Amino acid sequence: MAVAYRTHVSIIGDILSTARDEAPDESGASVTYLIRKANVSYARLSKILDTLVSQGLLEQTNSDRACKYKISNRGREFLQAYRGFREFADSFGLRI
Amino acid sequence: MEFILESILNLLGFVVGLVLGIFAYIGFKNTGSPTLFRLNISFFAISIGFGVVGFGFLIESFVFGFTKVDPWIQTLGLGIQTIGYFFIAFSHGIKSFFPKSRFLKTIAVPLFIIPGNSIEHIIRSISFILLVYGTIETILSYMENRKRSTIFVAAGLGLLALGEFLGWYSIVFPKSILYFISVSTKIVGLGALFVPISQVPLRRPGFGSSV
Repeated sequence: MAVAYRTHVSIIGDILSTARDEAPDESGASVTYLIRKANVSYARLSKILDTLVSQGLLEQTNSDRACKYKISNRGREFLQAYRGFREFADSFGLRI
Repeated sequence: MEFILESILNLLGFVVGLVLGIFAYIGFKNTGSPTLFRLNISFFAISIGFGVVGFGFLIESFVFGFTKVDPWIQTLGLGIQTIGYFFIAFSHGIKSFFPKSRFLKTIAVPLFIIPGNSIEHIIRSISFILLVYGTIETILSYMENRKRSTIFVAAGLGLLALGEFLGWYSIVFPKSILYFISVSTKIVGLGALFVPISQVPLRRPGFGSSV
């Protein structure tokens, strides 16, 4: 069966979507939860999370000795823009 | 009169391509997506191509007072437009062929057989092939995602291809209305590419491409 190839931007979109819509509690989503829901390896996720936190799209919180991640307002704006432009690219039959 | 109308149509193409290019650029700045970057290059090239022909005709006529327009302006403009069509086809090529086998690429390459005996013939035939390829890929995408905007894009690319074909055919009948119809068809085609924009909120949060 053919597996759909995900671009770097779409992986970021999936991570932010998970952090926004599927975080198990208000303190945010743990790394393990993000790995499972966004379907990314630990090594790749770590690099992306560092970038997203440094860009202000995700907020890092410490809860119960575990590092968790919450989507920021900036991250919500990015996700909204990403979804809009994904529709635009989809209309051309392309992947963003 | 006919000459001024052709210039206006080309300038209209310049504006339409420019707006689409700016939109794709905003998308690239917001998301850092290489696909939107390629679309941005594509629409800017199409816009510049139309602009070269439109402004070139007007400048030669009104500034230099030439009675007959140099054919190289038309060739240069079409060449730049072809770069734009190439980037649309290239984006589909990346999606469809990578990381698949090289065998398909070796099949695809011979499709780019270039007929004709002049630079303008060659450029138009390349544009036509690239646009037909883009249209077919977009129709295939429509069959997967069933989005109405996708069929508008496919129609737009198809009309651009038809416009190129009619433009090529106008060389056979140089004094006919075919060239005027060709440019008009291309403008309508570019207009159809506007449909996806209407579905995107035009906001600019301002994220760097480093994301």
